Amino acid sequence: MKLKLIPKNEQELSKLFVLIFPLTLLLSSLLAFLKDSYFTFANLLPNNQIFNYGFLDRLSTKASFGLVFATIVCLAFTYLFSKSLGRIAVLYPLLFLTLLGFVGTEFLDIVLSFFYQDNLNITGSISVVLLLKLLVAFGLFGLASLNLLAKKETTIFASAQFIYGAIAFYFLSFLIARSELIVFTDSLLITSLYTSTHIYVGISFIYMAIIHFLMTKPIDATLFSKTLSLITFWGFLFLLPWTSYKYYFGSVLPNWLENVSIYLSLSLIIPLLAFTVNYVKTIQTREVEMNKSASLMNFSVILFLITNVLHVVSSFENLLPLVGLTNFQNVISYGYFGSLVLASVSLTYYLIPKLFGRSVKYSLLEDLVFGGLKLTYLFLLVNNFLIGVNSGYSWNAAANAGSPAIYGEGFNIVWGLVGINYSANTFISLLFLGVTMLFFISIIRTVSSGDITTVEEMVFNNE
Amino acid sequence: MSELVNKVAEILKAPVDLVQRSAEARAAASGKSVDEVLSSWAGGESVEASAPKEETPVEETPVEETPVEEAPVVETPVEEAPVVETPVEEAPVVETPVEEVPVEEVVQEVVEEVVYLKNESSLAFISGVLSIAVFTFVFAFLTPKNQSISVVESSLNNTISVSADVIKGAEIYSELNCQSCHTQNVRTLIPDTQNGKVLSNKYANKALIKNIGNIRLGPDLSTNSLREPTNNSQWLGRYLTDSSSVNREIPHPNYEFLNDEDLDYLVTYLLSLGESNE
Repeated sequence: MKLKLIPKNEQELSKLFVLIFPLTLLLSSLLAFLKDSYFTFANLLPNNQIFNYGFLDRLSTKASFGLVFATIVCLAFTYLFSKSLGRIAVLYPLLFLTLLGFVGTEFLDIVLSFFYQDNLNITGSISVVLLLKLLVAFGLFGLASLNLLAKKETTIFASAQFIYGAIAFYFLSFLIARSELIVFTDSLLITSLYTSTHIYVGISFIYMAIIHFLMTKPIDATLFSKTLSLITFWGFLFLLPWTSYKYYFGSVLPNWLENVSIYLSLSLIIPLLAFTVNYVKTIQTREVEMNKSASLMNFSVILFLITNVLHVVSSFENLLPLVGLTNFQNVISYGYFGSLVLASVSLTYYLIPKLFGRSVKYSLLEDLVFGGLKLTYLFLLVNNFLIGVNSGYSWNAAANAGSPAIYGEGFNIVWGLVGINYSANTFISLLFLGVTMLFFISIIRTVSSGDITTVEEMVFNNE
Repeated sequence: MSELVNKVAEILKAPVDLVQRSAEARAAASGKSVDEVLSSWAGGESVEASAPKEETPVEETPVEETPVEEAPVVETPVEEAPVVETPVEEAPVVETPVEEVPVEEVVQEVVEEVVYLKNESSLAFISGVLSIAVFTFVFAFLTPKNQSISVVESSLNNTISVSADVIKGAEIYSELNCQSCHTQNVRTLIPDTQNGKVLSNKYANKALIKNIGNIRLGPDLSTNSLREPTNNSQWLGRYLTDSSSVNREIPHPNYEFLNDEDLDYLVTYLLSLGESNE
């Protein structure tokens, strides 16, 4: 395996991100495990400035929704966007530096957190790094726009349009994160909109980009309907940014905003149905048998559907007090992120033969990786759903009894209801850590010692 | 028939499966058999100049709006004939003898299966995405933000006076990320309002704003100073340094690594919660 220090073209750049992805996933799962351990065994483990739940929670969030996500964005951009619309050749050095900066600033944010714990903003970023992220995101957005405008063929691909939408809202999320805090409402406004633009739109759109590729080319299927794909794109793009406010129903946010959020969340069913029908009908036209990696893609779609259904169902006004301000909100974020990870793993196994010229053998190791990933995210969603609903129910029951803040003995009762689920979260994290380690080993093994096969040259070569 | 398909594919320099599917689509639209269509294509003139060399290896099925006039290219839900020419608009083609179909049209048909042409420019697409982004920023963020500020400004009592020690405590609270588990976010829902006043109508320090919290794992702390035993500084100090000495059941981090001064600031801040909202 040859990997040049400075990749000369998109082909080599894609290779780089294929290798970085398992590493970032491993880091993210390690931090998630430490975080959950320090929550469950807070009384037993020695705490210090670094190893305490609060700090680890920040790090873990940044590693998952920042670093891992940024790596996947870069992989999707190099392989699916610039290739399909490909007029990026002239701008290759700029693209290379921007993508490097895209992942680099996220990594820098994690590292600098150790030194500037007292200087983090409301979204957990350091102000200077956030500014850098903003610049880099703007650079990538500019390159993507140039790429679209400079193309000669009058066509745009499904994957490319989703990537473009994700980058636009990724940039917007950083603008929002830098906004000034003046009144208490700002806290909820910024965190809500940051979550919905960065996680809901950003992650789900990159996911869509990968899925629209995986459900056609690798299994030799033809997209069922471009109209449904467009409904999915514009529907999610318009609706998703508004959907996080509803979880603060009854809070200090303006009432009209909470109500709009509820109605637009309910409307998510439209693009969701369009996507589901398109996906099912498309994979029916496949001409190649689905391998184990493709079945992971199927599972990611199921996870994505479950997440969105929960997102829609939780919009009912009488359910919101139960699920708002609880772990249920994490279910939605984890659901989107989990779908993206599963689809990216599937994409990685598809890309290895194309980029590295090594065929993938689906042995016991890969079975363990796929099975482990599916179980991890299924358990994670179910467990956090139970925590969210049970604790939300307790808070409301206690509030109706006149003690909404539940201190002392009252909180012991709440904890008796959800404590076991928090312990389970730790073991789920441990499972995830084990699986990501196996995934890393599997990728290294395949890339270094898989059977040699033909490399598929990407369309453009900048050498 | 496979020989015929191979021959046509060779002439068109297109993949066999694409030619096969295009022929099936053409046959369905024109009412002729697939063999007849293939024969006509095979008998056509040389097409080397217009063969879709670059387009055929395209990786994925592209998607974009096709104008109404372009409606003839439509995917059928039927098993494996994704592209069918709409018979109504194509009536003139049906009347044309199959043998006389121009080779360029055949090539175009093959191309269209993998590349849908669109009429809108990229600029329209970019404008659409940007418009939604700007719309979101203005109406989902700037408008409610300004609305909240104006509510606070019109309030008679719109400031909170907090001591420097409380602010220091608030910063330590934020640094330790206590807001990961504790909210100070009482809602105006009927159950929650019994707990205290809503915090909106006040200007506040940034450190205080950051600590509101979004997810409630532990107790809400907005009325911490109004309750037993959390209104007791000694109890709080003991709980923060060794929580299990007070309550063994609930896991809570031990902040024994905080120096005495910082611990005092933190306790001062916690004791201020509830008072400032009165």
